[in-house]
Parts: sequence; structure tokens; C-alpha cells
Amino acid sequence: MIHIIYISRAVRPLSDQDLQLLLDQCRRDNAQHNVTGVLFYSHGNIAQLIEGEAEVLEPLFEKISRDGRHSNVMKLVDKPINIRSFSEWSMAFHPLEPAGFEQLQGFLLPNRVPPVPSSLTIADATLIDLVRLAVFGADAAATSVLPQA
Amino acid sequence: MREQQLKDILRHMPAGVATLQGPELRYGFVNEAMQEVLGASVTEGFPITECPGTLPADLLEVMQEVYRRGQPYVAKAYRLALSSEGDEPGRPRYFDIALEPVREGGGEEVTGLLLFAVDVTGQEEARQRTHELAIETRRLDTRLRVLTETVPQITFTVDAKGNYEYVSPQWYYFTGQPPTADLNAMWPLLIHPDDRLRILYQTDAARTAGIGWSYEYRLRRHDGQYRWVLSRALPELHAPDKPVFWHGALTEVHDQRELAEALRRGEAELRFLADSIPELIWTATAEGFVDYYNQYSEEYSGLLSKDLGPTGWINLLHPSEQANAARRWVHSIATGESYEGLFRMRRHDERFRWHIIRARQLTDARGLRWFGACTDVDDQHRLREVLQTQYDELARTNRDLDTFVYTASHDLKQPLFNLRGLFDELRRSASFDDPQESQILTMVDEALRQLDLTLQDLAATVQDQRGLSAPTESLDLRNVADEVLLGLRAQVLESQAEIELDFEAAPTLTYGRANLRSVLHNLLSNALKFSHPGRPPHIKVQSNLSDTNQPILTVHDNGLGMELPDMPTPVFQPFTRQHPHVAGAGVGIYLVQRIITSRGGHLEVTSTVGQGTAFSVYWFDA
Ligand SMILES: Cc1cc2nc3c(=O)[nH]c(=O)nc-3n(C[C@H](O)[C@H](O)[C@H](O)COP(=O)(O)O)c2cc1C
Repeated sequence: MIHIIYISRAVRPLSDQDLQLLLDQCRRDNAQHNVTGVLFYSHGNIAQLIEGEAEVLEPLFEKISRDGRHSNVMKLVDKPINIRSFSEWSMAFHPLEPAGFEQLQGFLLPNRVPPVPSSLTIADATLIDLVRLAVFGADAAATSVLPQA
Repeated sequence: MREQQLKDILRHMPAGVATLQGPELRYGFVNEAMQEVLGASVTEGFPITECPGTLPADLLEVMQEVYRRGQPYVAKAYRLALSSEGDEPGRPRYFDIALEPVREGGGEEVTGLLLFAVDVTGQEEARQRTHELAIETRRLDTRLRVLTETVPQITFTVDAKGNYEYVSPQWYYFTGQPPTADLNAMWPLLIHPDDRLRILYQTDAARTAGIGWSYEYRLRRHDGQYRWVLSRALPELHAPDKPVFWHGALTEVHDQRELAEALRRGEAELRFLADSIPELIWTATAEGFVDYYNQYSEEYSGLLSKDLGPTGWINLLHPSEQANAARRWVHSIATGESYEGLFRMRRHDERFRWHIIRARQLTDARGLRWFGACTDVDDQHRLREVLQTQYDELARTNRDLDTFVYTASHDLKQPLFNLRGLFDELRRSASFDDPQESQILTMVDEALRQLDLTLQDLAATVQDQRGLSAPTESLDLRNVADEVLLGLRAQVLESQAEIELDFEAAPTLTYGRANLRSVLHNLLSNALKFSHPGRPPHIKVQSNLSDTNQPILTVHDNGLGMELPDMPTPVFQPFTRQHPHVAGAGVGIYLVQRIITSRGGHLEVTSTVGQGTAFSVYWFDA
């Protein structure tokens, strides 16, 4: 199994509807292919972690990086892991119209991202914190996925 | 029949046709088209002057003239103001109007006029537009020329065969070539020999592919210097995929290139520098992802940069310090505050060495970035630890000495008291003949008083300074023992002693902290000091409760042992040394005993020479 973390920029801002569409499609396809992880979105900034079998993830990442909705895809990590750190695939963003999103399967408010399990190395957890910071700005520093002291 | 047919044709012809008869030019046949031109419906037989329709006066005059002279006349693009359906004057319309004299029966005399009017409005408007366009084009052309010849760039046009069709005058200024120079022959010769082939090839390739180009090369300037220029050109397509010309511009980019080159060199030099420093150096993006580790980082960690990864340095830290270090890094990235911390970092041989990690945010050519360094302070750190231990030991020795002074001053009080008693007795019972007797007696008296005062002062000073009389507190024996052993670490390591601590039966003791430390320190250091040369020391420290529930501490060793006097409770005197060959002040056990007795307890000892010694501290006598 491997995990991949990347950051990118949306070509143009994604609307609530764009995001929900992406959420629906990805949750369906990822569940089908046993892909788990999390995607962060805010003001055109995108970061995503995906974990799964290398045979699935490598072509998926190829496809995602060619997706016309975003560009400047920069892969930060691509390495083998022993176990998954996420039980499903979810997406964290601030909808313009939050009503209705709260109940949506796989949707998270950015400050509700749960701490990561200790199976993830501190270095990788730090990377997730840094990409959250890069996507959501300094506010994200208030909550951390790092284990508490 | 033929005439009727002819009339029909004429009637429906798209050009206006009319006959005018006699010198009064009376309307004869007027077809539909002509009727439209003339406007008001004209009636056969009426003279044209009475019913001219749209025909202006000057045309009427010309008609009469043509009639008189018998010479045909054509007015080209003659403007007629036709009335439109509505009332406003319609748009002007233009006609080619032909006037042909008619001679009846082939005679000489003119008997009428044939009038043709062909609508040429469309052509005329087109002609006028063309004219306006030509003027506009000339204006643009002038502007283009001014621009082309005043911008700093050299502009040029190349045809499909690759021949220079045009080059702006700047080319001649730049190259210093005469206006008569053969562009196509000269240009390639002015390109730097190292660039020439590449440029000719790339130009040919772009032309063949019908696409534009953009490349840089060195072009010789009038002073013989080669300067970097950027050549960009785009094809002009007349039909799709069929370029006819390439228009382009040549911009001098020499200074930018030199600058970029200098920057690249500078960066390479910095990298070289960073790679030669025996310190871990790295840079990170504004987001906090490390994007460069110097060579030493790889050597130190035994990992490649790509395996270290954007946050890989955290993996090198001691596991117990990683989370803390990571949280502080995220905080620095969020706030821009500098980063600094003391951490243990794993070397390639799995050994951890202390490092100070520092990082600061700086802005360089690539924007905001972080620059970090990890400085090895392991040796300093260890040295400091050793110094601290030595310092602790010194402080303790000092304290012990103070205790000694204190207890000694106490102990000297009794003999002094006895001395004074004896002296008083002597004065009473003996008589002296010496006349200076009373003087001497006073002096002895005074000396004794002085001695007493000095002893009191000594005791009071030490007591104040060292807190030996400090109030008792509840002490964790293991805690204090660990502290003491830390101070003795060097001796423990050196002698490879095995030390067993067992405080389970009575883990705490209510006592003066400095006192307990002194007692433990002296007993333990003695046990280490007087070890048997044939075996490493094995020391067992145990706390217990007596039958009367009073705390007891025993320190048992397997050392040299000693001869004990035949007394149940030997009294230890200062400066008596059981083992003259072993270093030590000889005051240790004396002190311990003094401390214990002063707090209401006593010390017992059993020993077998060559086997070992056991001290038992009865903290409080019931
Ligand atoms: C930012 C971003 C993240 C994406 N993440 C995923 C993902 O995790 N899983 C997935 O199946 N598709 C993801 N996609 C969508 C894919 O790029 C692709 O559009 C989708 O898989 C449909 O592919 P298909 O047309 O081949 O079925 C993502 C797209 C974007 C723009």
C-alpha cells in the first residue's frame, strides 16, 4: 500500500455545486476502488492525501493530475505505508451555503478534521498540518492533526 | 409582334430606359425601372421640363445640349436624390446615365433622345469605402512605420523561402552594416559561430512546420561585441496552413541574461558552500516544505534528500521530541516566527547527537523562503553535563565541610567547658607568687571567652548558610538516592558497581533534605571507595521499619571491610582512616554519625575484613 500527498491550484474557483459534484463522484469511485484519504479546498487552494494499493493509486494520481479543473499539481510524498490512517474518503471545505452540507456524507468543516492515528509518522502528520495551513491559511494552525503533547 | 416582344423586354429591363421626343423632349416610352428613377409618374407626351421628376436642372440642360449637338454623352456615377417611401430624403443613389441622340429614319436630323440609367449605387459605395480604407490604411501604415522604426527592437519580415523581406533601420544601427548590405548574406555571418548552426536549423524547422519561433542567440554588434538577443516571430497565414511571411522582433536580452547567469552562478556557489559545510543546512518553501538538504545532511543521516522528503528531518529527531518539534515548526510557518530548539538527531550509525536547530524566514529571488541549520552541540552538551556533575559534587563537598565545621564547633564546646572548669578549679586551689599572676589569669580567662565566642559564631554562620537546621520535610528516598547517584555517576561507571535500591518497605522519610543527601552521599561514596580490588562493588541500599515502627536505612557492600573496636557502638573520630591507601578526607563517617545523632538517631556498623561492611542508620531512637 502507498499514500500520496499533493497540493495544487484550481484553474478557477470551485462553486459549492462543483465541490459537491466532486465529492459525490470521488466518494463513489474511491469507495469502489478502496481508496481512502482526505481533500482540502479553500479559495482555489487544493491539497489531497490518498491511500490505497499502488496499482490503483498510481494511475489515479496520473488521472487527477491531468484533470483540467486544477493545475500546478505538486506531489509532496509518494511512499509505501503499512496501514491506512483514514477509514474513508472525505472532503473539507467552507461552503458558501453551509446549510445542507453538514449532513452530507464525507463532508467535513476544515476545523473538524480529526487528529490522525499514531500509525502515521509524525513527519507525515506534520506534512498534513502544513498542507492544511497552505490551503486554509493561518487559522488552520489553531487546530492540529498532530498528537497532543 | 416583334415590336411587342421588344417592348416587353425593354419594359422589364433592370436598367431604366426612356425615349424623349422632339426639341421639347417629350416623354415617349418609359419602362418600369426608369419610372422608379424619375419618381413622380410621368405621362407620355409631356415635356421633360414640365415633369422632371428627380432629374436636376443641370441634367436637363445637358439633355438639351445633347439634342442640339447630336453627340452622345455619359454621366458616370451620377447622384440622384430619389425620394423614398417615407418623407425623409432617402440615401443617395448613383446611376450611370447615358444620353443617346436618335435620328429618325437614318436621316441627319436629331429627332429625339434615348435615356439610359443604370443603378451603380453598390459599386459607388464600394468604391468610396475602398477609398476611405485606403486613407485609413495609409494612416496605420505611417503609424506602424513610426513605431517600427522607433521601438528599441529590431523588427523584420521573412518570406516563405527564408529571405529577409524587410528589416527595420535599427538592424543597421545595431550591426553597423551599410544600408547597401545584403541582408540575407550578412545576417547569418553576424551570428556567433557557436550559435549559428542551431539558429539556422531552428529557423528552417519552424518555417517548414509553418509555426513561429522564439530563441536566443549572440549577434555581433557594430563594436564587434557579441550580444545576446531574443528572436521571436509569428507566421502570417493567407490560407490555413499556408504561411507566406514571418514577422518578428529581435530584443536585446544581454543584461538580463548576464544577470540570470550571475544568479545561477551565485546559487551554484552558495550550494557549493552549503555542501562543503560540515553542518546540516536546508531550505524550505513558504509553506514549510523542505526543498533542499545540503550534502552533509545526507552524509549525517545516511539518507538521500528524496528519501528525507519535505518533512523528513522530523524523522531524524528522537521519538520523544518529534511531536513537540513538529508543532513548533507548524507554528513558525503559521506566524513567521523564527524557529529554534535543542534536539537529539539520529546519525547514520543510529547514535543520537544533540543539535540546535534554527530556521529563519528570508526573501530571496524566488520569494519567501525558510533557511535552516542544525548545529552539532553534542560535545558542548556532554561537557556541560560533566561540569554540572562536578559542580554538584563540589557543592556537596562544600556542604559536608560546613557540616563538619558546624559539628566540630559543637564538639569542641564540651572540652572548652571542661577546660574552663579546670581553670577555675586551678585558680581556686593554687596560689601564684608571680606578680604578673593576675594579669596572666585575666588573659587566660579572656582567651577562653574568645574561643567560646568564636565557636558559637562559627556554628551560627554555617547553620545559616547551609540550612543545616532547615525544617524537615517528607522526602522520597528513591528520588534523593537517584540525585546522589547522579553525582557519583563517574565513580559508579568507573568501578562498574552494581547498585540495588530497595525502598519499598519505607519509601519516604521525614528529614532535612541536605542532611539526608549528606548521609547517603557519604555512605555510598565510602562503599564505592573501599571496594575490593578483586570484584566490582555490589551495593545494596534498603529502607525498613524497625519493630517499633521507626525507619532504618542499611547500606551493604562487598568491599574491603574493616577492623572494628570491641565496642557495641563504635565512635567514629574525624581524621581516622581505616585504609590509608584509599583517598578521602576521613571525615565522612564522623559526619554521618554527627548528623544522625544531632537529629536524635544513631549509626550502627558491622563489618568483616575482606568481605564487606554494613551500615545501619537508625534515624530516630524510639
Ligand atoms: C482536485 C481533484 C481531486 C480529485 N480526486 C479524485 C479522487 O480522489 N478519486 C477519483 O476517482 N477522482 C478524483 N478526481 C476526479 C478525476 O480527476 C476524474 O475526473 C474522475 O476520476 C473521473 O474520471 P473518468 O472520467 O475517467 O471516469 C479529482 C479531481 C480533482 C480536480
